[in-house]
Amino acid sequence: MERTRQTAILLGSIVLVLCILPVAASDYVLSLVLNVLMWVALTESWIILSGYTGYISLGHSAFYGLGAYMMAMAVMHLPCALVVVMAGFLSAAFAFAIGLPFLRIRGPYFVILTLGLTELMKYIFVNLEIKLGGTVGRVIMTAPGLVVLYYFILAITALATLAAYFAKNSRFGTALLSIKEDEDAANALGVNTSMYKLLAFGLSSAFPGMIGAVIALRLSYIDPYSVFNPMVSFQVIVMASLGGIAGFEGGIVGAVILTLVSEALWARYPYHYMIILGVIMILIAKFMPQGLFHPVERWLLKRARE
Amino acid sequence: MSLLEVAGVSQYFGGVTALAEIDMTVEKGEIVGLIGSNGAGKTTLFNVIGGYYRPSGGTVRFHGEHITGMKPYLICRKGIARTFQVVRPMRNMTVLRNVMIGRLFGRDRIKTEFQAGPESERILETVGLGQMMHVLAQDLTLVDHKKLEMARALACNPELLLLDEVLAGLTATETAAAMKIVRNVQEEMGVTILMVEHVMAAVVGLCSRVIVLHYGRKIAEGTPKEITENPKVIEAYLGESIV
Repeated sequence: MERTRQTAILLGSIVLVLCILPVAASDYVLSLVLNVLMWVALTESWIILSGYTGYISLGHSAFYGLGAYMMAMAVMHLPCALVVVMAGFLSAAFAFAIGLPFLRIRGPYFVILTLGLTELMKYIFVNLEIKLGGTVGRVIMTAPGLVVLYYFILAITALATLAAYFAKNSRFGTALLSIKEDEDAANALGVNTSMYKLLAFGLSSAFPGMIGAVIALRLSYIDPYSVFNPMVSFQVIVMASLGGIAGFEGGIVGAVILTLVSEALWARYPYHYMIILGVIMILIAKFMPQGLFHPVERWLLKRARE
Repeated sequence: MSLLEVAGVSQYFGGVTALAEIDMTVEKGEIVGLIGSNGAGKTTLFNVIGGYYRPSGGTVRFHGEHITGMKPYLICRKGIARTFQVVRPMRNMTVLRNVMIGRLFGRDRIKTEFQAGPESERILETVGLGQMMHVLAQDLTLVDHKKLEMARALACNPELLLLDEVLAGLTATETAAAMKIVRNVQEEMGVTILMVEHVMAAVVGLCSRVIVLHYGRKIAEGTPKEITENPKVIEAYLGESIV
C-alpha cells in the first residue's frame, strides 16, 4: 500500500513536469522527450501481452504501421485527435480478429507468426497502394506542430502505463500471469484462458496503433517499408528485456535508458555507438537476465518485509 | 441421478485404444478409487472428464447435464476440479496466489482479490500449508506441492474432486497425513472424490468403491475387499502364471 502511494506520487510529479515541459524546453529536448515517451508507450503495451502472458509478440510493428496508415488516409477528412482514437480502436479490433487463430499457437511458433504478420501487412499495403495510387508513399500535408504531437504522445504514454499497471494488479492480471506460468493448469482452475489472451492482445495492440497514428503526423511522409518495419518490434523487445518484463516499471526503465543512452552514444561516437550498445546489451543479458529493475524490485520487497 | 455418469466413453489415439467403452458412475458423497497398471487409461479418463480430450465416443454427464468435450474452465465452474499427477504449480507465484486463482475463477468465484485472500488462507490451513502461504511455489517440497495441488483444486469450490495420484512418492508418515486430509475433505467439506491411486493401503483405507482399468477396459468394480480378491484383477496386476 505504502509503495503504491509512493509510486503514484513519483509518477504523478513526473507527469506534471512533462506537462509543463513545452514551456521551457527547446525543440531538440522536446523531440528527444517525445521519442522517449513513444518508446515507453510501445514497451508498456508490449509488456501487457508478452510480459504478463509470456506470448512473445513481434507484431507491434504491424499495429504501428496500421495506425500510421489510418492517419495518412483519414487526416484530410477528420480531426487528428479523433483519428488517433480511432486508430487505437481499429488496432484493437484487428487484434481481436486475428487473435482467435493466432493465440492458439504457443511458444516460438507464435513469435514467428507475429513476425510474419508485419511482413504480410507490409506487402498488402504495398500492393494496395500500387493498385490504388500507382505509387507507394503518402505525404501528410496538414500536420499539427511539435507541441501538439508531444501532448498526444504524453497522453497515450500515461494511458499505456496505467493500463500496464492495472493489467497486472487486478483479477485480470492474476489470469494473465497464470497463463504465463501454466496455461493448462490455469484453465483447469476456471480461467477462460482464450478470452483473457484475446483481451490482453487487444489492449496491447491498441497503443502501437495510436502511437503509429501520431508518428505518421510527425514523419509527414510514410510508405509501407518505413512504417511496417520489424525494427520497431525488435527495439521494443530489447527495451523490455533491458528494464524487465514483470511489471510496468521495467518498461519505463528500459525505454528511457536505452533511448537516452543511444542518443548520447550516437552524439559522441557516431561510428561506433551500435557496437557499444551491443556490448552493453550482451552484458545485461548475461548478468541481469531479469532486467535492470529486478534488483530494485527485490530490494523494495525486502524493505517492505522488514 | 448420479453425480457423475460416464457412459460408453472411448478414446483412440491413432491406432491405440486408450479407453474402450468405459461405463462408470460416482454418487454424491463417495470416495471412489480408480486403479490399474501404467497405461491402463486412468489419466486419460481424467482428461476426458476434465475436458482436456473430446472422447472419440460416449458421453460424460454431471448432475445429468452433458459436459462431454466442454472446455476445462467451464467444467471447473460446473463443479469438477482436478489435481495433476505431475504437479503443475504456478512456480513464480506465492502459494497463496496459486490458491487465489481457483477462488477468483472457479465455481462460485468471487471477483475481488480482497475477499479471495482470506478464503484462500482458510483452504491452505485445512491442507496444512498455513505456514507456507507467502513462500514461492517453486520452493516447496514434494509433499507440499501435492498439498498445494489439492488446495488449489479445493479453492475452485468443487462438488467433485479428481485426485490424480496425490499420494505417489510420499513417505509412510506423509501418506498417513495426506490420507487424513482427503478424508477430511470428504467428510467436513462434503466433496465427492474420484481418485487415481497406486498406493493400495490408501485405496483400501479411503475408498468405498474401486474401479479397475486394464488396457483401457473396465475389468472389475466393487468394494476394496472384493477387488483385492478378484482373480481378474490379480491376473492383471501380477500376470497369468501366478494365478
